[in-house]
Amino acid sequence: MGYRTMATDDARKRNWIGWVFFADLLNGLALTLSYLFSKTVTMRYPDKEKWTPYPRFRGHHFLLTDQAGKIKCVACELCARICPCSCITVVPHEDQNGERHPKVFEVDTARCLFCGLCEDACPVEAIALGQLYEFSAYSSGDLRVGRDELLSKPGKTRQGGNVIAARLNTDEGVRVEPKEEDEDGHDWWTRLRRK
Amino acid sequence: MELALAVALITAKVVIVTAILLILPIPLTWLERKIAGHIQQRLGPMRVGWHGVLQPVADGLKLLTKEDNIPVEADRRLFKLAPIISLVPPFVVFVAIPFGDSFSLLGAEITLYISDMNVGLLFIFAVAGLEVYGVIFGGWASNSKYALLGSLRCCAQLISYEIPMGFSVIGVVMLAQSMSLLDIVNAQADVWYVVYQPLGFFVFFVAGLAEAQRIPFDLAEAEGELGAGFHTEYSGMRFSFFMISEYVVMVTISVLCVILFFGGWNGFLIPLPPLIWFILKVGFFIYLFMWFRFTFPRYRYDQLMAIGWKVLLPLSLANILLTGLFIV
Repeated sequence: MGYRTMATDDARKRNWIGWVFFADLLNGLALTLSYLFSKTVTMRYPDKEKWTPYPRFRGHHFLLTDQAGKIKCVACELCARICPCSCITVVPHEDQNGERHPKVFEVDTARCLFCGLCEDACPVEAIALGQLYEFSAYSSGDLRVGRDELLSKPGKTRQGGNVIAARLNTDEGVRVEPKEEDEDGHDWWTRLRRK
Repeated sequence: MELALAVALITAKVVIVTAILLILPIPLTWLERKIAGHIQQRLGPMRVGWHGVLQPVADGLKLLTKEDNIPVEADRRLFKLAPIISLVPPFVVFVAIPFGDSFSLLGAEITLYISDMNVGLLFIFAVAGLEVYGVIFGGWASNSKYALLGSLRCCAQLISYEIPMGFSVIGVVMLAQSMSLLDIVNAQADVWYVVYQPLGFFVFFVAGLAEAQRIPFDLAEAEGELGAGFHTEYSGMRFSFFMISEYVVMVTISVLCVILFFGGWNGFLIPLPPLIWFILKVGFFIYLFMWFRFTFPRYRYDQLMAIGWKVLLPLSLANILLTGLFIV
């Protein structure tokens, strides 16, 4: 047999001196000791640190505006149609220039499953799912978000996937605010020890 | 007057030792959780107090407010008695344990032990053996399958490991020509007995792990297969009695390891106060127990029995023979 199996490897290592002095147990102890003194990977959310999601993350919805600052949405209601849980309500209206815009644009984030189909369906790229994920509320009614609030929600950032310094703020709802001095943060994955 | 002073002194010592032993599980649980966390690359408790030091206090308060639940089918009297029986013996053991040399205060000589018995070692083994009754009663009185299985295992385990443990210290007694712990420590002023008795120490330490029911020998409360073992049905303060007793037994085994094999409060190279040396050594052993816990898996029941009867018992007998040969 040309290949080596784990059993033969073990047999080679297991000479009698090692067996008498518990070499395998000592190996285990040495490993756990080295782990004891290696860096921890715990992300101290929400006290000290916070995870910034990747741009591909599907968080809270937001509505976009064009260069003139007018709402991009043309109230075609395609997003409302494709939404698998029917959580988008759009009521269109026509302004004095004859342009079609939403009078009401409401997303019920309590029912939303954050699939992102509304983003895919939109013909004018007016709605998108951002990186905001802290919007818990005490009543499900508070999770219905209207047009103006959707316009004010933060959009996508270029970078993400880091752990940044932050502090917990419970003045209104529960928010973990990033600290200014640590914008880039550190890459969590590099801290992970894999042996 | 003389008598009153002596009684007052002994009472004060007993109160101090008991208080320390009751408080000790608080830092030890914190330490254990911290070590567990860091070995697994976690932080452990962080939120209550500085680095979570007050976490055990919070846990204790939580246990105090828990409902004291007694199963309907349980043997109520035995169920209430069991935690106390398991809590008292580990404390009584410390009556015979010396913590350092005597020193004089205000002209009176104060000894750092409650009593120096000439059969100290025998007393310790006899009393420590009583602790198993608490576990057996607890498992039996709970009237639950898991608890009963846990206490049956515990019973078998302690019977198998008390014997090699008792035999392993005979070598020490032969070398020191005394069973008083004070004499044993004083006999180790030059060379620690671990040098003469490596085999004895090994057997004592492994049997001690089993005696303290720590991983890899914690079959009595194997969480994975028995729920929580003998204390499955216990809650609130009664549960915490079992926990305190477990930690005190761990301290007892560490203290015995230090006194019997590592020279007690005798220093080595670095001149430090004897009590500091003692505490450092005991701390090292306590750390060792925790380190083992988060490194090794649990032995199977038949493996446990095989180790006890087929390995440790012959080894401890061989140790007695060898010691006898060298003394002659």
